[in-house]
Amino acid sequence: MARFRLRPATALVLACVGLYVAAAAQVRSGRGTALSLAFDAVSTPPLALVAALSSLWDDVTSGRHDLKTTLGDVRDLRREVAELRQSNQLLAAELAAMRQGSRLLAGLPTLSENASVAQVVARDLFVTHTMVLDRGARHGVALDAPVLGETGVLGRVDRVYGASCRVQLLTHPAAAAAARPVGFDAEGLLEGGDQPRLTGLPPYTEVSAETAVVTTGSEGIYPPGLLLGVTGESHTEGLFTSVKVILAARPAEAIVVAILPAGRGQP
Amino acid sequence: MSVALGLVAAVLVQFALQSVHVWSALAACQPVLLVVVASARRLRPTSVAWLGLGAGLATDLLAGRVIGPGGVAGAAAGALVAHVIRKFELEGPLFWIVGSLLAATSGEVVWLALTTSLGAQPDHGPIGVLAAVATTGMLGLLVAAAERAWAWWISPERRRRRGLRSR
Repeated sequence: MARFRLRPATALVLACVGLYVAAAAQVRSGRGTALSLAFDAVSTPPLALVAALSSLWDDVTSGRHDLKTTLGDVRDLRREVAELRQSNQLLAAELAAMRQGSRLLAGLPTLSENASVAQVVARDLFVTHTMVLDRGARHGVALDAPVLGETGVLGRVDRVYGASCRVQLLTHPAAAAAARPVGFDAEGLLEGGDQPRLTGLPPYTEVSAETAVVTTGSEGIYPPGLLLGVTGESHTEGLFTSVKVILAARPAEAIVVAILPAGRGQP
Repeated sequence: MSVALGLVAAVLVQFALQSVHVWSALAACQPVLLVVVASARRLRPTSVAWLGLGAGLATDLLAGRVIGPGGVAGAAAGALVAHVIRKFELEGPLFWIVGSLLAATSGEVVWLALTTSLGAQPDHGPIGVLAAVATTGMLGLLVAAAERAWAWWISPERRRRRGLRSR
């Protein structure tokens, strides 16, 4: 056990300090003794510091709680905004589809009675040159049914599933349709592909550019009079005249299409 | 023991000087400080300081002022006097004169500083400090003269002269 031994000099110093404190306790002024004044002077700053630190800690705690609440609100609002944005996008897409479908049906007054409107679900314009619609056998869609876009013929149904169908676009290399330029009696065959062209026209047939090309219905698929596209440059190859055709329908922009009943052509 | 007796005697003398207004200037004299100075020959500096503390407290009590500053001042004066006397090896009249002046001066200055630092009103100002230093120093001078006279009185030389005269 450690023993504390007070040295005489230390004891003397402590005694002097004690005497000074005792003297301070004896001296009285207007507001109290000198000792109480000194104690107040010494203790006030630490107490004020402790009070300030306590207040600061309360503020920090309150601020952290508020920050947590605010961050939670911000998170909820962001999620809500994202949901609203997604909903807005869906509504905008639906509105665009409805507008397009409305324009489509308005442009086909004679065919709209038996036509059914379908929405494009998927499309592959570069490899298979097809698009998938959300209507199938369950909705009365049959094979070889013509499919029209807002600005013209898109193609025909080449595969039918229960709730969907696949459309072979006119840009498909195997696509073909009986057609003629407007103002001509001669009929040709519109061959699909990357550069569709109207072949089989009589030799040296002069077809001016920008002439509309419409279906004739001879192949038994497309009804007559449907716009396929406009003519481009023409030239005679052997016994027939070939005319480049710029297709009117734009599969990339098609959202809603019209499916006509199959077999309405005139074979 | 002789130091204690001397301290008691000095306290009584100081009390008498302050009570009986034979000559008002003598009231400032502090004989107890001379006891502190005298103890510096025999005691260690710490003990001298303790004795100075007691003497200062006695002075505070006799003067009826705030008790404490006088004790601290007495301790400081005792420690200073003891160190100075040991440092310069003061002897004879110089011991009493320098010791009493130093004790009175340092004690009064420290007391005045402590009292002022406490915010109390001192019972005397610089003039009183000068009076205390002067009267205490004068008393030290008297003690030194008395010591010299006593040393002459009891010296073997004087005894031999008296013996020669009587023959």
